[in-house]
Amino acid sequence: MNRALIVKIIALTVWGLLLFAPFLFQDVRQIEVAARICVFIVLVASYDLLIGYTGIVSFAHVMFFGFGAYGVAISMKHLGAGWGPWFLGLGAGVVVAAVMAVLIGLLSLRVKAIFFAMITLAAASVALVLASQLSSFTGGEDGMTYSVQSVFKPATKILTDAEGKVLQVAGVRMNGKVLLYYFVFAISAGLFWTMLRIVGSPLGTVLKAIRENEARAEGIGYRVVAYRTSVFLIAAVTAALAGGVYATWLKYTGPETTLSFAIMIDILLMVVIGGMGTMWGAVIGATLMVLAQYYLRDLMEVAAGATANIPLLPDLLSPDRWLLWLGLAFILLVYFFPAGIAGTIMEGRRK
Amino acid sequence: MQEPSLSTRDLTIRFGGHTAVNAVTCDFRPGELTVIVGPNGAGKTTYFNMISGQLSPSDGQVLKGGEDITSLSPSARAKKGVGRAFQLTNLFPRLSVIENIRLAVQAQSGDGRRFFKRVEALTELTDMAQHYLRATHLEAKADMQAALLPHGDQRKLEVALLMAMEPDIYMFDEPTAGMSLDHAPDVLNLIAEIKQDTTKTVLLVEHKMDVVRRLADRIIVLHNGELIADGDPGEVMSSQIVKDVYLGNAGEMA
Repeated sequence: MNRALIVKIIALTVWGLLLFAPFLFQDVRQIEVAARICVFIVLVASYDLLIGYTGIVSFAHVMFFGFGAYGVAISMKHLGAGWGPWFLGLGAGVVVAAVMAVLIGLLSLRVKAIFFAMITLAAASVALVLASQLSSFTGGEDGMTYSVQSVFKPATKILTDAEGKVLQVAGVRMNGKVLLYYFVFAISAGLFWTMLRIVGSPLGTVLKAIRENEARAEGIGYRVVAYRTSVFLIAAVTAALAGGVYATWLKYTGPETTLSFAIMIDILLMVVIGGMGTMWGAVIGATLMVLAQYYLRDLMEVAAGATANIPLLPDLLSPDRWLLWLGLAFILLVYFFPAGIAGTIMEGRRK
Repeated sequence: MQEPSLSTRDLTIRFGGHTAVNAVTCDFRPGELTVIVGPNGAGKTTYFNMISGQLSPSDGQVLKGGEDITSLSPSARAKKGVGRAFQLTNLFPRLSVIENIRLAVQAQSGDGRRFFKRVEALTELTDMAQHYLRATHLEAKADMQAALLPHGDQRKLEVALLMAMEPDIYMFDEPTAGMSLDHAPDVLNLIAEIKQDTTKTVLLVEHKMDVVRRLADRIIVLHNGELIADGDPGEVMSSQIVKDVYLGNAGEMA
């Protein structure tokens, strides 16, 4: 069997599960996980455009995510919970992300990769400090809670039965919460599909060429700086859109959820776990990482309970040590899948 | 006589105190294949690098069809029809052979900016790429990664990339270096074919004398960065100064 097909089947299975998530996973926490996976697939895939396809190392991706989220949050908080403020906030976030991306790109994509990485790191730090300090505007360290469009409220009846009560399909109430999940899902899936088209287009080949041999790409007629800046712009706008959607889902935006470097590290890990330069790997990486973040502790609690009578083991398996086990799992993954899960599965084909 | 398609005017580059290429003024005309010879370190590749834009000269100009292109980037020069193949194989190693060629084709056709059309849907690009694959006898290896090709095939792919750019000026830097005897004629035949087209200008850096004799319409000799001879192949090869350079005692004479 074609190895690339295996990866696609795995990734499409994940998308299939996400499509039916409200019916398959009816617990509040589970649907939270599903929505987070949707958003992070987009975030990780757009980062893969940079690091995996073009060979650009940026630490500012979380900043662009934050621009989108804060745009929506600030607008909804100060202007109210309608569609007007939503579009205004998202639009503003996207425009700020686009302008910053072009500025950083044109000013610094000519310099060596390591300097570019440093510049993005500096920009992201500034954004984080500003978000924490301008508390009257951004909510500071505490962030902001706000209400979203009334159509997305759990009390809103999307479909009603003959008696005017909210309709239940397969035991799931067709309320605003379900609609909001599908809103998140549809935008995420659409953005992911767009990025698939980009990497399969002539532009995608040029990006790979720049990663492989920048000087020769320039030599056969591609203005490398312009292409790099364009892909940086595309990735930034995509991240900002993902941020705006996530802010709508959470009804809360703060440094911890959209701007912190912990998220940047998560994105990096997800790209590496999934496989750089594979696009489909983003689905696998984001899913595994988010599941681990939410469920590893639960799993360990069960494991610790099951081994309660054995000396030492329960201590090692204590839920407090979940980060240790996550680290171990990561080391093993990198050892057995050096090109990431999708990358390593696909690679076999070429030999 | 035809107008020159490419000229260098007092082209000079200095690295610190060392002058690698010193005030080289030379015209190249369409339909003419000029071989550039000279001992190692004579500045042949450096001269090429200044024409194709990888290096900026300290002094002097490069003119393409009368237009000053000295300050243009390599990509802008490529778009103006200055094409270059490299001495050290310089491919996109992890892309397939066909992808390598398609990149050159789409650079020329301007399709590189299309971001929403599937590559497979642009059959014209693929057909063009296939054409150059066949021309360079690489069609059986279309889907192989460039890095996994044998050296001789990598050299052919290097030539295919240059051909796919469809330039006016073809610059070959030792195209048969390190190639086995059964592969080299393929590449030389391709160059001979390009030479048939009287609208194309060909510059060739080459050491092998049989190649020089077969292809050259004109020979220029670089030595210590200076142009020391220029003319008809028979004339140049028999001149005393060139013999001295190749015998290695020119340095003592200077």
